[in-house]
Amino acid sequence: MERTTPSKLSRLRSDSTLAATPPPTPGFTGPRRSSRLLTSPGPTKLDSDDAPSSLPTPIPSSTKAKRRLSLESPTTDPVTPIRSESKRPKRTTVQYKKVVLGDVEFQVGDDIYVKKQGSVESESEDPDVEECRVCFTPASKSKIMIECDDCLGGFHLQCLKPPLRKIPEGDWICSFCTDKKDGKEVVWPEPPEGKKIKRTAREKLLSGDLHAACIKSIWRETDGTYWLRCVWYRTPEETAAGRQPHNLRRELYRTNDYGDVVINSVLRHCYVMNPEEYQRASDDGDDIFYCEYEYDVNYHNFKRLPDIDDNYAENDESSDYEGDSDGDSDNDDRSLRGTSSNRSRSKVLAANSRKGRAYWLPKIAESKTQENRKRRKQSKLEKASAALSLASRPTSPPCRNKEMEEIETFVKGAIGGQECLGRCLYIHGVPGTGKTMSVRAVMRNLKSEVDSGVLRSFCFIETNGMKLSSPNNIYKNIYEQLSGHAVGWKKALHCLNEHFSNGKKLGKKDQKPIVLLIDELDMLVTRNQSVLYNILDWPTRPNSKLIVIGIANTMDLPEHLSPRISSRMGIQRLCFLPYNHEQLAQIILSRLKGIDAFEDNLIELACRKVAASSGDARRALQICQRASVLAEYRVKQIADAKAKGKSRVCLTDIEGALDEVFKSPHIQRMKMCSKFGKIVLTAMVNELHRTGGEELTFEKLSERVISLCSMHHEVFPGYDTLMRACCLLGDGGIILCEEPKKHMSQKLQLNCSSGSDDVALALKDCSETPWLSLYL
Amino acid sequence: MEVSEQAAIALRQLRERLCSRTLAHSLLQFSSDNNFSKLKFHISSSISAACSKVLLLRGDKGSGKSAVVELVLKDLKAEHPDFFSVVTLYGLLHSDDDISALEEIARQLCVGHKFSFSKTVSLDENKEFLMDMLKEYGLARKTVVFVLDEFHLFTQGKQWLLYTLFDAMETFTSQSIIIIGLSCLEGSEQQLEKRVRSRFSSCTLLFGPPSEEDRRILLEQLLYLQKDPSLASKYVVEFNSRLDKIFSDKKFKEILSYVTCADGSTNHLLRFLFAASSYMDMESGFLSLQSFDSAYSLMKRQPKFASLHDLSVLELYILVCMHRLQCKEETSYNFNSVMKEYKAIQDAHKTSDNYSHAVCLRAFEHLLDRELISFTDTKGRNDSIKFRPVKLLVSSRELDSSLKANSSCPTILQKLIDHESYM
Repeated sequence: MERTTPSKLSRLRSDSTLAATPPPTPGFTGPRRSSRLLTSPGPTKLDSDDAPSSLPTPIPSSTKAKRRLSLESPTTDPVTPIRSESKRPKRTTVQYKKVVLGDVEFQVGDDIYVKKQGSVESESEDPDVEECRVCFTPASKSKIMIECDDCLGGFHLQCLKPPLRKIPEGDWICSFCTDKKDGKEVVWPEPPEGKKIKRTAREKLLSGDLHAACIKSIWRETDGTYWLRCVWYRTPEETAAGRQPHNLRRELYRTNDYGDVVINSVLRHCYVMNPEEYQRASDDGDDIFYCEYEYDVNYHNFKRLPDIDDNYAENDESSDYEGDSDGDSDNDDRSLRGTSSNRSRSKVLAANSRKGRAYWLPKIAESKTQENRKRRKQSKLEKASAALSLASRPTSPPCRNKEMEEIETFVKGAIGGQECLGRCLYIHGVPGTGKTMSVRAVMRNLKSEVDSGVLRSFCFIETNGMKLSSPNNIYKNIYEQLSGHAVGWKKALHCLNEHFSNGKKLGKKDQKPIVLLIDELDMLVTRNQSVLYNILDWPTRPNSKLIVIGIANTMDLPEHLSPRISSRMGIQRLCFLPYNHEQLAQIILSRLKGIDAFEDNLIELACRKVAASSGDARRALQICQRASVLAEYRVKQIADAKAKGKSRVCLTDIEGALDEVFKSPHIQRMKMCSKFGKIVLTAMVNELHRTGGEELTFEKLSERVISLCSMHHEVFPGYDTLMRACCLLGDGGIILCEEPKKHMSQKLQLNCSSGSDDVALALKDCSETPWLSLYL
Repeated sequence: MEVSEQAAIALRQLRERLCSRTLAHSLLQFSSDNNFSKLKFHISSSISAACSKVLLLRGDKGSGKSAVVELVLKDLKAEHPDFFSVVTLYGLLHSDDDISALEEIARQLCVGHKFSFSKTVSLDENKEFLMDMLKEYGLARKTVVFVLDEFHLFTQGKQWLLYTLFDAMETFTSQSIIIIGLSCLEGSEQQLEKRVRSRFSSCTLLFGPPSEEDRRILLEQLLYLQKDPSLASKYVVEFNSRLDKIFSDKKFKEILSYVTCADGSTNHLLRFLFAASSYMDMESGFLSLQSFDSAYSLMKRQPKFASLHDLSVLELYILVCMHRLQCKEETSYNFNSVMKEYKAIQDAHKTSDNYSHAVCLRAFEHLLDRELISFTDTKGRNDSIKFRPVKLLVSSRELDSSLKANSSCPTILQKLIDHESYM
């Protein structure tokens, strides 16, 4: 049993943090792995005064655990030991957030190497300093090592043949690997006498002699041993699909397989990163790994890990965590979910029912992972359109600092003091001015303040009036988010009333103040306005600790409501004015930072157009995105490799995008009308112009059409065909017509904003029937 | 082989092609810069870039919107198998309430994955199911394509479905939800509610009638017989060369321009060709100009005009009377005033067509049933027919020509109407 000494651990840590081992990034076009600038791996000053708070005494139980583990995981698979009842964390066990072993701190959420039981490696071996594959000495300041992107072996620059002066740009593959690829015999240099090739922890992990895991919880057994519950990682070789060609060398998969390990089998930290972090970590040491997918051990399929900023995932995790800390048996449910308990369920529930979902949904996943499409080299235009899409939202909205400050002071004022008083804030503004986004950004900021301990913790609940099937369902929604139970709305209303007026306990989050964000508040207005009354009445009760933030479009919503509601809504209002064109340009430019895809002044053109009409940021983004897509399509049609590289969005693209949004589509549609349809339109304009009215009857129209036809030697196809043509125009929305049953007295009307001018514009130069222009 | 047998086989081959929903549109997909390639580019680019998109396809009825969507999705399905699921909703069926649309979405998603599906779950459960599915799809890097047929019907009422979908497109990052709206009504996006509209951005594809060149391609590809083991090659050559002759005929071009003048859409053309194929001469086994001509006369049928032709004399009298009343600028008239006019004519001209009041009422009711005349108002159903105001639904020109065409029409009626119109 290896018992790492503090001194050694400190070295390990310095190594892993300071040693600059470039990760292989074969597909990445972004940051290039940098040199292996190994500083001296000697011991450095660590926070050694950070006294070990709890030193585990591992001797008796660790051996037991070791035996147990060795019994159950003899294969390469990190099989979760079947947990006997006695080993389950009881309520008596103490949960920790971090444990210090030696002077290395293990926290919940950290990634660790876990030793495999029964490995034959000698314990004395130092697995942390990587040596050159040629001369078998570690790197030093003078001797820089670079890493092969294929075999991950390190080489001194000098030891290469021919030696390299500096780190080459792009991917580098060592001569051994290229030889191997060419089918040549490869002879690796033999190590000098008395020295054997040492393997680093990374190599051991990738060859399956170590495991990696992520700590989910830490507790102490009654006998004083420390245990960790971990989620295992797997290497691509350990999955059913095997290693696929696009897998990175350092790629791992997170599994949904949980396991308990005793703390002594932990080797040290490793760093498993998501793609973005990995891309940034160019020289963060040897122990970094790439993880993009979760591997389902039951279904043998893959699922992408959610992005960190995903609100939903955050919520899930926090609630899970709370369940854990309360000593609930949530953990067991979750680990069981992975096992066969669901599969063996005799009665299979429907997938769209609430209970059946957990069984069916895991099946939607890929059987093989796809190559990350983001890793592929993107053209400038593709990058631009991705950055401009509405889904890719920046962390903080630009140009809304003042409003955000106001929201922040409001929330802080409400929850900051000793007494948490209920309050209301009404936010209004036209769509697309960043209302919801600002509130969310403020909440994120406050959350980080809570995490750092500056602010009291609070609970943030978000609902949207548009997404409720009926206004009453908001009670249900709120109650479910508060307590986690789904009940009918009447029961939910009752419980919420109890909670806010009497302080009755409700779920687990009851002590905290609650910030309730209601988007699209106006959708909650019912005939007797009881829903709004109830919700706005809660903050006024003592001990409610409820803060309501309502968002809607109309400025004077409180004035439309009955006085008892508007008085409860209070006077605190916040207005989001439409963006002006400078702000819009700033928003777009902030997203396009580093992407030179637009020609000069085009963004300003689009922003001015949008600012003049609505000031809707979404619209401006959409126009620019649309323009970049148009440009992309144009470039694709050219199919000239030279032109492709330097293509940018030009004036025609942005004009096309603006036309799509602002121009009336009727004109194009009129141009596409059938010949007879055009004659009908002309006759209509002519007749309307003559009478000066807004509408005309079918009888008048038919007279006109017949006279036009006879004058220009067209065959009049008959009343029924005329009626048919009118109906087609009516279906297309070009004209408005009554139902054809009325026949002669059917009323017809042009359906364009500028009436006859549009028709004139559309039909002026019609090649089929040039005489039409005489009448326009 | 007998000629008639060969003709039957040939006819079957033609009809198979003419009745296929997508064949005609797939023939046009190779012409440059068409909607097929644009749509395919948009969908496949957003699948590969994992970004969401709204596509709006607009065009007249029968211009092949849904057929093109079908083709593109089929094509993509072959390229990326099990990469995306398609949910198709029809505005007429699913736009009126949340329940039916959500249930349909859940059902189609379940069927697509061979999940079991329950009809009895509540609306909220279905909604949660949709959201969970979208999340799972995002994690599994799959795409959901929502095809909303009759898109303009979804833009009415509360529009919660569009809001939910658009909001999901914003919320779930790195996920592609593609919404394809098919609409023949112009300006349907104007009806969107302001907050839905703010989230709505679409690229629009416009579907128009086929061009002259496209139409030629269609005719040739659809009507030329293909080589078939069951057909004698001599027959095929003969059939095609005759068609060639017809296509270059001036008369045929005239017929074609008449057919397409009111409705130039592809489907209308197909319908015409199908009618023409039905007039194929089975004795000789060839399509002739005659068959196209009779197909055209079938297409240009005028039901209103035809129903005027076989009216009885009394009914014609009543129509003329009503027309006279209209010309006298009497704004409102009912059966009694029509009868007064009728009696006046009878008194003045002493014709043999003097019928009793009851018979006239029968004729009047008959006209009402034929919708040649109608009540001006929908209210007052309980009143007697005699007193309800009525109006004429045929124009004087139509009436005039029908009187001329009717052989049993008394001359006095024609005189009366001529007198009225040239007064």
